[in-house]
Amino acid sequence: MFGLASSYAEEAKLKYNHDIRPILLENCFACHGPDSASRKADLRLDKRQAAMDSGAITPGDPDGSGAIERILTDNPDEVMPPPMTKKKLTDTQKAILKRWIKEGAEYEPHWSLIPPVKPTPPAVKNAGWVRNPIDNFVLAKLEANGLQPAPEADRRTLARRVSLDLTGLPPTPELVAEFLNDTAPDAYERLVDRLLASPKWGEHRGRYWLDAARYADTHGIHFDNYREIWSYRDWVIKAFNQNMRYDEFTIENLAGDLLPNATLDQRLGSGFNRCNITTNEGGVIAEEYNVLYTRDRTETMARVWMGTTANCSVCHDHKFDPLTMHEFYSLAAFFNNTTQAAMDGNIKDTPPIVSVPLEADAKRWEEVAKEIPSAKALVDERRKTARPEFDAWLKKAKPEDVAAGVPTQDLVLFAPLDDGEKTFRYEVRGKQESKPLPATVEWRPGRLSKNAAYLNQGELLSVNDVGDYDANQPFSYAAWVKLPANDSSGAILSRMDDRREYRGWDLWVEGRRIGAHLVDRWPQNAIKVLTREQLPADQWVHVAIVYDGGSKAAGVKVFVNGQPQQTNVVADSLAGTLKANVPFKIGQRNTTAPISGATVQDVRLYGRRLAESEVALLAKLSLSAIVAAPPEKRSEAEVNSVYDWWLTSVDACYQDRLKKQESLVREQADIQARSTTGYVMQESKDSPVAYVLNRGEYDQRREKVTPDTPKSWPAFPADYPRNRLGFAKWLMLPNQPLTARVTVNRFWSEVFGTGLVKTAGDFGISGELPVNQELLDWLAIEFRDSGWDVKKFFKLMVTSAAYRQSSAITPEKLEKDSENRLLSRGPRFRMDAEMVRDYALAASGLLSNKIGGPSVKPYQPPGVWEAVAMIGSNTRDYKQDAGEALYRRSMYTFWKRAAPPASMEVFNAPTRETCTMVRERTNTPLQALVTLNDPQFIEAARHLAERAIEANAETDQRIEFIASRLLARPLRPEETAIVRNTLQKFEQHYGSVADDAAKLLAVGESKSDANIPPKQLAAWTMVANELMNMDEVVNK
Amino acid sequence: MIPFEQFRQELTRRHFLSAGSHVLGTAALASLAGKSLAGPAAAANAGAKRQMTHFAPKAKQIIYLHMVGGPSQLDTYDYKPVMDQWFDKDLPDSVRMGQRLTTMTSGQARFPIAPSKYKFERCGQSGMWVSELLPWMRRMVDDIAFVRTMYTEAINHEPAITLMQTGAQITGRPCLGAWASYGLGALNDNLPTFVVMVAKSTNTEQVQAISARLWSSGFLSGEHAGVTFRTAGDPILYINDPPGVPRDVRRVSLDGVNALNQLNYQQFGDPQTRTRIQQYELAYRMQASVPELTDLGSESEATYKLYGEEARKPGTFANTALLARRMVERGVRFVQIYHNNWDTHTNVSGRLPDQCRDVDQACYGLIQDLKQRGMLDETIVIWGGEFGRTIYSQGGLSHQNYGRDHHPRCFTMWMAGGGFKGGSIYGETCDFSYNIVKDPVHVRDFHATVLHQLGFDHERLTFRSQGLDFRLTGVLPTRVVSEILA
Repeated sequence: MFGLASSYAEEAKLKYNHDIRPILLENCFACHGPDSASRKADLRLDKRQAAMDSGAITPGDPDGSGAIERILTDNPDEVMPPPMTKKKLTDTQKAILKRWIKEGAEYEPHWSLIPPVKPTPPAVKNAGWVRNPIDNFVLAKLEANGLQPAPEADRRTLARRVSLDLTGLPPTPELVAEFLNDTAPDAYERLVDRLLASPKWGEHRGRYWLDAARYADTHGIHFDNYREIWSYRDWVIKAFNQNMRYDEFTIENLAGDLLPNATLDQRLGSGFNRCNITTNEGGVIAEEYNVLYTRDRTETMARVWMGTTANCSVCHDHKFDPLTMHEFYSLAAFFNNTTQAAMDGNIKDTPPIVSVPLEADAKRWEEVAKEIPSAKALVDERRKTARPEFDAWLKKAKPEDVAAGVPTQDLVLFAPLDDGEKTFRYEVRGKQESKPLPATVEWRPGRLSKNAAYLNQGELLSVNDVGDYDANQPFSYAAWVKLPANDSSGAILSRMDDRREYRGWDLWVEGRRIGAHLVDRWPQNAIKVLTREQLPADQWVHVAIVYDGGSKAAGVKVFVNGQPQQTNVVADSLAGTLKANVPFKIGQRNTTAPISGATVQDVRLYGRRLAESEVALLAKLSLSAIVAAPPEKRSEAEVNSVYDWWLTSVDACYQDRLKKQESLVREQADIQARSTTGYVMQESKDSPVAYVLNRGEYDQRREKVTPDTPKSWPAFPADYPRNRLGFAKWLMLPNQPLTARVTVNRFWSEVFGTGLVKTAGDFGISGELPVNQELLDWLAIEFRDSGWDVKKFFKLMVTSAAYRQSSAITPEKLEKDSENRLLSRGPRFRMDAEMVRDYALAASGLLSNKIGGPSVKPYQPPGVWEAVAMIGSNTRDYKQDAGEALYRRSMYTFWKRAAPPASMEVFNAPTRETCTMVRERTNTPLQALVTLNDPQFIEAARHLAERAIEANAETDQRIEFIASRLLARPLRPEETAIVRNTLQKFEQHYGSVADDAAKLLAVGESKSDANIPPKQLAAWTMVANELMNMDEVVNK
Repeated sequence: MIPFEQFRQELTRRHFLSAGSHVLGTAALASLAGKSLAGPAAAANAGAKRQMTHFAPKAKQIIYLHMVGGPSQLDTYDYKPVMDQWFDKDLPDSVRMGQRLTTMTSGQARFPIAPSKYKFERCGQSGMWVSELLPWMRRMVDDIAFVRTMYTEAINHEPAITLMQTGAQITGRPCLGAWASYGLGALNDNLPTFVVMVAKSTNTEQVQAISARLWSSGFLSGEHAGVTFRTAGDPILYINDPPGVPRDVRRVSLDGVNALNQLNYQQFGDPQTRTRIQQYELAYRMQASVPELTDLGSESEATYKLYGEEARKPGTFANTALLARRMVERGVRFVQIYHNNWDTHTNVSGRLPDQCRDVDQACYGLIQDLKQRGMLDETIVIWGGEFGRTIYSQGGLSHQNYGRDHHPRCFTMWMAGGGFKGGSIYGETCDFSYNIVKDPVHVRDFHATVLHQLGFDHERLTFRSQGLDFRLTGVLPTRVVSEILA
């Protein structure tokens, strides 16, 4: 719109990027461009040599150029573009192409791939207007288009605008007054410095970043369970508040974990690459999702730092940009070497993770981490030195010495499952029973004996009067199991009524992790724990669950091979009963969740809490057999297993040392229990590789590729490591054409509403050309040369004359600069969702000043989550918070991806499922409904009204009070007249209908001021609500 | 260069004003001229509401009933009597042909055949076989076009349902409803163009996830996203005035807001301010339209006889079906209903009857109701899930009960009204309902067919994003299934 016509008219030599490429892109490249798969007639017009070789273009000779001939012909079979494409060149476009060939058909690389050179700020006629070099560039464009800048905005408007841009919040009336009364020449600069120093700055900048980072509080796919990753959000806020250099910021985001001796903070930065959506859907194929995750990380990085729509190259060579599939997957290889599993486990802390201790625990946390290894060394040492004593003991040992420990007390059910017959035996409270073996069960080799039961399709045994415990009764259960190498889910044991909200308990397998459900009503009223580590596939392990009857997840211990396991707590809200009116079962829940492909033996259920040592004994059940055997028949491994038992059961010294180690481990666990989780990246030990995937399909691997950067970008330095760290450093090389440009463009759009390149995530050929490339390049280099100083850069923008203009529009400007891309006036646009809500809270005085911490759940209409969430998802029931949490800044609102915060979604807040570089800005009736009716806004209006009444006696003063907080200015007389008029009508209504006043004032959790007559407060609440809905309030 | 979207809107406006193009509806026509005076932004809004169809449309509205989880075609519509002799025998490898399985059954040692335990009957003129679980459907097969050979590539819920709704397995593309809104615009400005309802299933043994991404507008403008109509609480979020604010008080406050905004407009001249004034008026009118829409008090006893008593209970499938008819009556362009819990990995006999009971009479009621009111001709009703189920049993198998895993290679969907040929039965599957023998219909073919009925050539209903002209049906060969069109 800005380029073509003007340069054509000037008769200067045509420029490929500016004048020619857009025409070829629209009409020719789809068939004659970079994508080899869709290329027709083996002709490409995007490369000069290729176009010349084919005779399509003969520089200097349009009439001798095949392309021109085909363009000009009337023959429908010959003409280009072919009629079937429904594309057509205009006469002007044809003339331009001819002239360009005549002028020599010079090509240029795409503008954004040519590294920027710092331009000299252009001379301007109205030099007095210029405050800093930004203004030279802006004014030169305006003058070239015959436009004048707008006058400077008044101080109140400026204070409001700059406060919103730097902190995301309206200025307090005090701040405005101070600025108004400050007569020093640098009053504005000092206001800017004050705002930049506010901790709200980091929140506001961070909020934009979280869109790019696709931050959210749930995993995103299927169960969409809670993900405890808010420490990354805190990290982002802190980074901006500390004014971390953008190059460091980049490196820590992409590779903080790989920095030498990385600090906890640096590792937390790498959480950027952990914000992608993940799944735990039963039945998915891991590789399919690993491919998707890597792709997401690569695409996100490419949009944020390279301004490139890399996703186009997932299935084919990029149609327009110089990025082949091979190059895409080489880029992806950098991000394809993580230890993260495909399945998120439906847990809040999906590995790899770190613990982020509370401030108060931080010191001890470090100490304990050092003490544990020394304690363990002592234990190991005893293990070495005690051997002679053991050997002596073993010589005299009898089988009973070992077997005596196997617990039989309160053994309610015992099924050895070693029969190998058509029937199998089991004991209920010591009484022998037997049943025919179901057809679906076969005998396979066992662990303790020749045979064990192989369960393929669920139920093996059903017993009515066993296992009917209540939540306050301790009990324990155990079995030897061998699991197949798949990620399926199922119950090994259970007494669970899965048709009545899953009441009961089970021994549960999920993704080869083992654990238990103890449920009153799933998921609201239940415990669920699962081991962090997967069990080995196709190997016998002994598993046991010990429940202490305390209705807490901490009282459910999971043991594997006699060792207590670290678990993830998926649910911890049991407050009821476990009693279920269904039988105890081996192999499945009452009607569902059959275990498939598992071999099981030695199933035991105890009506009490087993001690750790007892569980250890169960896991070593075969010891007595070993001791009974003659010494020469004992294998070394067998003797070692007896030694293990001896150390923990007989040797006092070992037990003592072990106890010390365990107490440290427990202390560590306690600190950890109080801490939050940090999601981090962790490189696997393999060398990073990826595969080119045909059409992007995970199961259609083509050639293997190693990490590499695309050819059209600067070369990858030989001394950089070929991993994410080397890659991040490569991104920040001074000769990078895009990194700085893309970044300053994003910052620019935060302040001016639209980037200099509107398509902020696409600087490629199909993206928009910059409206002012000289300005963009100048800004990019200025930012880079400032040491990537973000605060300095924002100061530069907001102190420019361009920024300080009034936003009033004239008909001329509406005609010539309708979208304000040339900046013929100050920026004015509807604020983002978070700002709209924060504004109301701040103006009313309700806003909490707390920074950071876990996400909160403010007001939300009931049923928003429930409507979409799966039963069993732990983000199905939205439990509204109380008190301060209702009034936190919106960036802390819990972000469930399947149902983003309802009131914010209406204002174009993204789902955060993928990287968002530019938010949409639509205006819809649904937005009006939010600011008019949402309890959050009604309560804020009431608070503002209360404060206005409490502080002022006169009507006009009260109106003034409200206006100064919502508009940062007094109302004009004609506005006051409107407000007084409506106030009067409100007073009439609430004066006559007291019930309505009471109802209105009851909205929101906070109580209204009882000293104000309800009819008065209700009327003023409606006044505040009216003013809050002014266009001027929701616009910056 | 004129940005594409602006160009499109200009073009649309011009075509719209010229004679001879097929423009649907008339409600927004009158308001167009008025809106364009409000400046470019408002004109853009109005422009986005209108689209020229490529040819004369057969249908102008859609009710899409999605059965979340994937209904078993074997126990409903795809009758395989031969299977009775195969009970508990292994699925021959020649049938499976190495087809990938979900990891829920890929570890199974055997794949024993589970014939349907339900009785089938030949119905209507068309002779369609329908299981005993769907007695109401048996009465109206001649109104229905059945496709027994739908197929998809996705084998798990998330990608499969995303493909079914948006034409792609990965998230981020606009859904069918959003495309319809983009293509056809609004019939009634006082109601959303594209409405989504999530019905409650009676049985909740195996409810699957759905999420707002399924009704997102993707790269299309946000106004084309589905608006959730809730079955409890406010039907549209925040539609109700706060307690203690009656309509006349709201009117006073809106008059105040509008007067203040008018002054603001005079001061700054921002066309967006004018747009906002209009949006507030629209919101006010929507507040009146929605309660009228959801108030079932005016429905006769005959209605409940038709849809069943369940239609009285908010949130049931029958209730949403009745609401869907009322929406279509009032000019909602696209109604999407989700009904969950069809994911019968186990316990088919304990669950499928509940599932079918939830929807059977309601579907019958909806179609007969539309027919009686003369609306079926121009309304497409679609029923189906994201994939089918396997002939072999997952978990335990007996004559009484069995489970079925996901099966993408064939499943049944049906359509009625809107120019679909009642009584057609399309496609054949093998004896195991495992592979398609004749006339496969991919999800994209289904999409193309629906767009065709709305008057669009699926190859030409495009949107430029990231330099590419995206379409719902993607780039692979796609065909309109004209055999099931009247």
